Amino acid sequence: MALKYELQEVEVWDGNYAASHALRQAQVDVVAAYPITPSTPVVENYGQFVADGYVDGEFVMVESEHAAMSGCVGAAASGGRVATATSSQGFALMVEVLYQASGMRLPIVLNLVNRALASPLNVRGDHSDMYLGRDAGWIMLDSFNAQETYDLNLCAFRIGEHRDVRLPVMVNQDGFITSHTAQNVRPLSDEDAYKFVGVYEPIDELLDFAKPVTYGAQTEEDWHFEHKARQHKALIDSRPVIENIFVEFEKLTGRKYNRVESYMMEDAEVAIVALGSTVESARVVAKYLRDNEGIKAGIVAPRVIRPFPFDAIRTALENCKAIGAMDRSAPGGALGMLFNEVSAAVYTTSSRPIVTNYIYGLGGRDLTLEQIKDIYRELKKNADAGEITTKIQQFVGLRGPKLEFFETRRG
Amino acid sequence: MAITSTKNLKEFSTANDRFEGAHLLCPGCAHSMIVRELMNCTDDNLVIATNTGCLEVSTAVYPYTSWDTSWIHIGFENAATAAAGAEAMYKARKRKGTLKNPDAPVKFVAFGGDGSTYDIGFQWLSGAVERGHDFTYICLDNENYANTGGQRSSSTPIGANTTTAPAGRVSYGKKENKKDMMAIMAANGAHYVAQVAPNKWKNMAQAFQKALATEGPCYINAISACTTEWKFDSKDTIHVSDLATDSLVFPLYEIIDGHELNITYRPKNVIPVRDYLAAQGRFRHLFKPENEHVIEEWQKRVDANWERLQRREEARV
Amino acid sequence: MGIGNVLSNDKRGMIELGAEKKVGWDEVTHGMVLHSFEDDATNISSQKAEDRNYAQFNSYVATVASWRVVKPVYNRDICIDCQNCWVYCPDTSIISRDKQMLGIDYDHCKGCGVCVEVCPTNPKSLLMFAELHNLEDAIASWPEKKKKEEN
Repeated sequence: MALKYELQEVEVWDGNYAASHALRQAQVDVVAAYPITPSTPVVENYGQFVADGYVDGEFVMVESEHAAMSGCVGAAASGGRVATATSSQGFALMVEVLYQASGMRLPIVLNLVNRALASPLNVRGDHSDMYLGRDAGWIMLDSFNAQETYDLNLCAFRIGEHRDVRLPVMVNQDGFITSHTAQNVRPLSDEDAYKFVGVYEPIDELLDFAKPVTYGAQTEEDWHFEHKARQHKALIDSRPVIENIFVEFEKLTGRKYNRVESYMMEDAEVAIVALGSTVESARVVAKYLRDNEGIKAGIVAPRVIRPFPFDAIRTALENCKAIGAMDRSAPGGALGMLFNEVSAAVYTTSSRPIVTNYIYGLGGRDLTLEQIKDIYRELKKNADAGEITTKIQQFVGLRGPKLEFFETRRG
Repeated sequence: MAITSTKNLKEFSTANDRFEGAHLLCPGCAHSMIVRELMNCTDDNLVIATNTGCLEVSTAVYPYTSWDTSWIHIGFENAATAAAGAEAMYKARKRKGTLKNPDAPVKFVAFGGDGSTYDIGFQWLSGAVERGHDFTYICLDNENYANTGGQRSSSTPIGANTTTAPAGRVSYGKKENKKDMMAIMAANGAHYVAQVAPNKWKNMAQAFQKALATEGPCYINAISACTTEWKFDSKDTIHVSDLATDSLVFPLYEIIDGHELNITYRPKNVIPVRDYLAAQGRFRHLFKPENEHVIEEWQKRVDANWERLQRREEARV
Repeated sequence: MGIGNVLSNDKRGMIELGAEKKVGWDEVTHGMVLHSFEDDATNISSQKAEDRNYAQFNSYVATVASWRVVKPVYNRDICIDCQNCWVYCPDTSIISRDKQMLGIDYDHCKGCGVCVEVCPTNPKSLLMFAELHNLEDAIASWPEKKKKEEN
């Protein structure tokens, strides 16, 4: 039996510690993990909770991230609650097994503490690792601060383990800015948190000897397509389940989450679409611009990156005129992911707002409030002109000659 | 552990098979002889993890499974870790009282071919053994990547003709010696290590039973004669295996706790290495005059290894 | 040859590989898992094949008979029930019950010929014949005991 951990009404936690406490409160059975900056403290803290008797689980410190996710898959198929954490290169090493976890419909929770991908090697935050995982068939949640990291971890277990979902879930947070910045966090009591997450319900477990089960069968051209289609349907259909769990969480805590978060969008003319801690910076700037320059600025932020909120993002954006899609990942010879996906969504509205793409913050480069102001001002110019007045893709906060690509043909 | 009697074959044959037919392994494949025997030598529940390879692609092709026990395949390299994860979950749930069959005896087993054991899954195996998980890893060692059509692995012996270390006008095939996984696993901390061959069924069953009964990680290197890639007739699998063990190319021995070495089979009549090689197409080119030296050197190596094993056995260190 | 009687009621070898019903995406199994049995399988290691309720996903219900070009034929009159063929069969196709060899499971036998090679009797109690060779004719044409010096 795990010991009760006495918590204050308000704790001062960083994102990593907040995630560890959520794992402890969910009484995770197995954590198989491998250390990597900046996610390491998530599993270190879990290990300490095990050592101190605050959680009755198995802490398996393996020899690589690939093995970490492999151990998680073996454990999850054995009918218990499983979680881990990683970042960047470690996540890249895990990728093979991410697809296997989702294909086998195993509700593992992975804390992905976002960090740039080498080369060049870099330990700071950007969203390259998050983007790498976006086709892996996982539900992907994004937190913008430590409180949200805690809350979304508790929700992640509920969502992934739901009978109609049974899919693995990633909880993203920004490396260092969220993971290592101590903030006020209001945790639930251990009892309330566990009551919310609930008792794990095993399905098709390797340890039920009355019902031997084969996991990981081969499927070729006569079966593979059907299996992947069913998996995709489960992912798309998880949307209402996620919404219901968010509603339940709000009843318990007063903190409301949505598949797409909108700030100051009621009358917004221009909007930034962003992920992670940038959302919080943009909120400060939008408020400033509304008060001082009369720009009706707003922010739209996908809380749920997968299943991509095609429907909700369209609703959030269809009444504004110009959108800046902010991608914090090297786009690798294309427009950024948010640009592409947001553009596709708003293209199916009758208003078809103008969308431009800003690449920023790679390798932990700060995005200043001044830079965000400039972006909003450009969007305002686009809105007023009714066309894109800049290049479609621009790099922001980069030294050297201005780097920008592609012109509109819409004007 | 509930042990099936292996006193004699008649007793053993009363075991009820848990590895089913209509799998897709080649006719005469030694893999299934080894797997069948593992599953027949115990009545315990088994949780089996399998690396990608011949065994995996032949026994769980949707919508069929040949496994009457719990079974999981993840990737090419990570069966040891899948078994480790399952074992960790078993321990956690046993403590918490959430198992459906808490008193049922269970053993964790992982299978891999030599490609996934000696090469791509080496790190995963080493890690799982080092961490001391209670499981038995069985390498079905057919000395090549048979599933992908016969490429060299680090288990392929010197002189073998494979598609990626081909013999040709100026090459006798693979130039490097087979990796010594027995020594590596003993040094890695496996509590019990044994080399077995399906032709010596009783010896093999006893090694399996010892490994399953041993708490902690165990490693079994099972010689799996490959009709397709070693190039012999499917009916000759046991005959070729006999030549392997009786020429001492594959000596059968065990290492307990990393130091106590016991030779578990001493052939009455040791046959020349040459006879073992001559039975297989993969070594045919070695019988050309310019390659004869490979056979001679091989014989010397086998003699020296046998001498070494006997001295280690005597030394008890 | 006796086997039919023992296993007449089971589901062995009913389906040709690839001939199973191809269901749509909405009917494939969750997480592509495959269950081996219909009923509680807690004591499966103490149940004989004919007493088990195999699931449609167990390869036991399928057949690979079409792989075979030659087949082993079993001659009960010579067999000493040594079980060599049983222990070495790679296809779980030697049917032994209560220490007695009953015959060959032709649904799962691929005709590798290992059983014939490991058969110690003289003459052998198992011999390979062409797949289409009639079983009665095969038995009728069984060779005589070989003399020692010929071995």
